[in-house]
Amino acid sequence: MAEQVIKPDLDFVKGVIAAGGDSLKKCYQCATCSVVCNVTPDQNPFPRKEMVWAQWGLKEKFKGNPDVWLCHQCNDCTAYCPRDAKPGEVLGAIRKQTIAQYSSPSALVDFVNNKSSMILLILIPAVIVGLVISMFGSWSPEGEVIFSNFMPILAIQFLFTPALLFGVGVGIMGMRKFWADMKEANGVTTGDLKGSVTAMFKELMSHEKFKECDESKDRATSHLLVFYSFIALGIATALGVLYIDILHLESPFRFGYGTPIKIFGTVGAIAILAGSYLMMSNRFKHADRVGLGSYFDWLLIGLIGTIGVSGTLAWLTRVAGIGGLAYPLYFIHLVVVLSLFVYLPFSKLAHMFYRGAALSFNKYSGREALAEAQPAVEAAAAPVKSPSESEQTGTETKQESGQE
Amino acid sequence: MSEHEKNILVIGGGISGLTTACEAAEAGYNVVLVEKDPFLGGRVTRLHQYFPKLCPPACGLEINFKRIRFSDRITYYTMAEIEDISGGPGNYNVTVKARPRFVNDKCTACGACAEACPVEVPNDFNAGLSMRKAAYLPYEQAFPMQYVIDEGACKKGDCTACKDACKYDAIDLDMKPDTLAIEASAIVLAAGWKPYDASKIDNLGFGTSKNIITNVMMERIASLSGPTQGKITRPSDGKEAKKVAFVQCAGSRDENHLAFCSAVCCLASLKQATYVREQYKDSEVTMYYIDIRTPGTSYERFLNKIKEDEKVKLIKGKVARVHEDPATGDVIVEAEDIYGGSKIREPFDLCVLATGMEPMISGVKLPSDVKINENGFAVMGKDQKGIYAVGCAKDPVDVAKSVQSATSAALKAIQTVGRLS
Ligand SMILES: Cc1cc2nc3c(=O)[nH]c(=O)nc-3n(C[C@H](O)[C@H](O)[C@H](O)COP(=O)(O)OP(=O)(O)OC[C@H]3O[C@@H](n4cnc5c(N)ncnc54)[C@H](O)[C@@H]3O)c2cc1C
Ligand code: SF4
Ligand code: SF4
Ligand code: SF4
Ligand code: SF4
Repeated sequence: MAEQVIKPDLDFVKGVIAAGGDSLKKCYQCATCSVVCNVTPDQNPFPRKEMVWAQWGLKEKFKGNPDVWLCHQCNDCTAYCPRDAKPGEVLGAIRKQTIAQYSSPSALVDFVNNKSSMILLILIPAVIVGLVISMFGSWSPEGEVIFSNFMPILAIQFLFTPALLFGVGVGIMGMRKFWADMKEANGVTTGDLKGSVTAMFKELMSHEKFKECDESKDRATSHLLVFYSFIALGIATALGVLYIDILHLESPFRFGYGTPIKIFGTVGAIAILAGSYLMMSNRFKHADRVGLGSYFDWLLIGLIGTIGVSGTLAWLTRVAGIGGLAYPLYFIHLVVVLSLFVYLPFSKLAHMFYRGAALSFNKYSGREALAEAQPAVEAAAAPVKSPSESEQTGTETKQESGQE
Repeated sequence: MSEHEKNILVIGGGISGLTTACEAAEAGYNVVLVEKDPFLGGRVTRLHQYFPKLCPPACGLEINFKRIRFSDRITYYTMAEIEDISGGPGNYNVTVKARPRFVNDKCTACGACAEACPVEVPNDFNAGLSMRKAAYLPYEQAFPMQYVIDEGACKKGDCTACKDACKYDAIDLDMKPDTLAIEASAIVLAAGWKPYDASKIDNLGFGTSKNIITNVMMERIASLSGPTQGKITRPSDGKEAKKVAFVQCAGSRDENHLAFCSAVCCLASLKQATYVREQYKDSEVTMYYIDIRTPGTSYERFLNKIKEDEKVKLIKGKVARVHEDPATGDVIVEAEDIYGGSKIREPFDLCVLATGMEPMISGVKLPSDVKINENGFAVMGKDQKGIYAVGCAKDPVDVAKSVQSATSAALKAIQTVGRLS
């Protein structure tokens, strides 16, 4: 790194620290993390290099860097880091920063992930949903508990379809920008796009890479559950749209049990509850070795958990005919689902776009194949610096002067 | 009692404690030295050579033992530990408990008892790399040159083989523990260090392969009086170890283990690299480091000289995984070569973990005014009175610095005695 001109971006460093990477400064560049990481490639492995870039505020280095997204935050590295610099958490914080780089408007990333805006974060969608109910629905429908009397299906579609389109649209735009940057930064011009994306989806289905982690193996299970719950609930919703808009059936939700829509809905509900519960308990279980995680992480876990709990309870209380509970629970459910849609590209959930792109790119560029083809690389003897010089390579003293 | 009749108590008979004791005695003061092991000299007795001069530690130790033998002011107790310290500067009352040696002064070190003894146990002096009898001499040049019977290993009662074999009536299997009361004006803490338990560093594979050893084991393997008579071979099959890896900071500078830099292990590995390179002309050594710490001009020169040897590779990158290849017995060492920009996995005949020095002073029951820091070393305040820590009881240091601190503590102890009487 001797010939490099260093242009530190202090705001970037501050951003990483604020996003939960406050242990960053402790890193002394020993590279334990790169070795214990089971998913990093052999050539230019992460996360050691990301630690020094982040310490130095080399924001440019993260432009089009797929590596931070190859990390699954399993925290094997954090458990073995001799300085308690929590590289796994720092990478999480860096990912938040890159989300801000690519999801526009980036101000929304700060808003969504800032603890102090939490109340507004919930209040705004609550007011919107409330307004729609006041205009098109009824706050206290009479008789049997029927959710479409509370909030008509058309009103749901009117509100949620644009919200989802917005979220996904912003995500896709960011992903395209990121893809172009990755190609430029890594000097890759062509590759097998279809093949890479297919391979990525295959890997995703089995969570193969995720399972390679040692320290918090059980995270693969919880992530898998939430992942499939999203798919199942997505299918249930799509079926709903199919019934109402295409087949013009009145209320598909009143069909008996055992219909596909109910099966997907129920399986999805169980999976999301179990998955989000495991996510939370895993965080606590591994807290002493790898830390509890940041607001960025908890916001997503919180949203998903609330969706699962409110949705299930609303359904149960509806079946039980307790309107006084069912409607408020359904209201909460609608608010969090709307939040999830709109915040999709700005919260930690944006990882579905950027991680998906990075994993595909890793195949597209041939980096992954290269890593698997030559596992052992002979080391060239490196020149040893004198202690005074090497003291400068990544110890606290230097980084501090580099930042202040 | 005149000031010269008062005692200075030294706890620990390593190079630091010995030096303190000799300096104070030669200045005319009475010294009581209490050592936990059956022999004096401490950890350096296990070293093959000293860095940077590569001379055997025996020379320096021999001089100190001579000083003790010829001094009538030093009383030493081996196999003894502190039970209690009360009082204050000028009038400490110390209770010492001495374990029985079962062998008295009549011992001529003829060795007949060891030959007769039927019990074999791992030899802790050789870090478990060889076996010894329950009746044994700690090592060839041990001081005192007197056999000892290992109470834990001896079959007791059932067996009198050693006693029967001794022609000098030197064995008394009924010897009892002894409690001594010592009055002292000043106390010097010289309890030194022990090697950090390498099996706690689970990613470095110690205990999973015989060919993953610690630096202390390497000293024994290289030593002419060691388990292999100085031939550097790998423990699993005795094959000549010609390709050797050194893993620096194994358990030191690590929040999960010892948070501090043990200060001597970089130099120790460089020194051990010369053991290998001297023995086999076609050998190769690789040392994996975070940064190499060789403070001071003479140590810097030592490093530079070793760097001239092109068969010694120095790679920046901490080793984070070591495991044995079951097919060959080779040890695979994994690191990121930071300058080379890639992860590397290299096979070696032998992998030496440069484990650090864990302070022992916390094992001594000390008066409450002696503070121990978060790393386990004794903290010496500016106006410290009566009790002084030296050598590795105070900091992780080499022999030269141990001796320096011992000399200055001897002086302070003398002043305490003088001032208070
Ligand atoms: C692998 C390795 C190689 C090294 N090589 C070198 C080298 O080449 N050159 C060099 O300068 N330094 C070297 N060192 C450092 C050197 O070993 C230390 O500087 C030296 O041992 C310090 O001496 P000490 O007397 O303070 O401690 P020690 O040698 O540990 O002596 C302490 C003594 O106190 C006794 N004791 C402990 N607890 C009690 C108790 N509760 N009651 C009574 N007695 C007690 C112990 O039994 C021991 O005899 C090396 C270190 C390592 C790890
Ligand atoms: S100090 Fe921690 S984060 Fe830094 S290189 Fe070492 S293991 Fe990685
Ligand atoms: S958190 Fe896991 S995947 Fe991410 S860098 Fe650390 S070890 Fe690798
Ligand atoms: S105890 Fe007796 S037999 Fe054993 S070494 Fe001493 S003199 Fe010889
Ligand atoms: S002396 Fe060297 S090997 Fe030992 S802890 Fe310090 S830096 Fe690490």
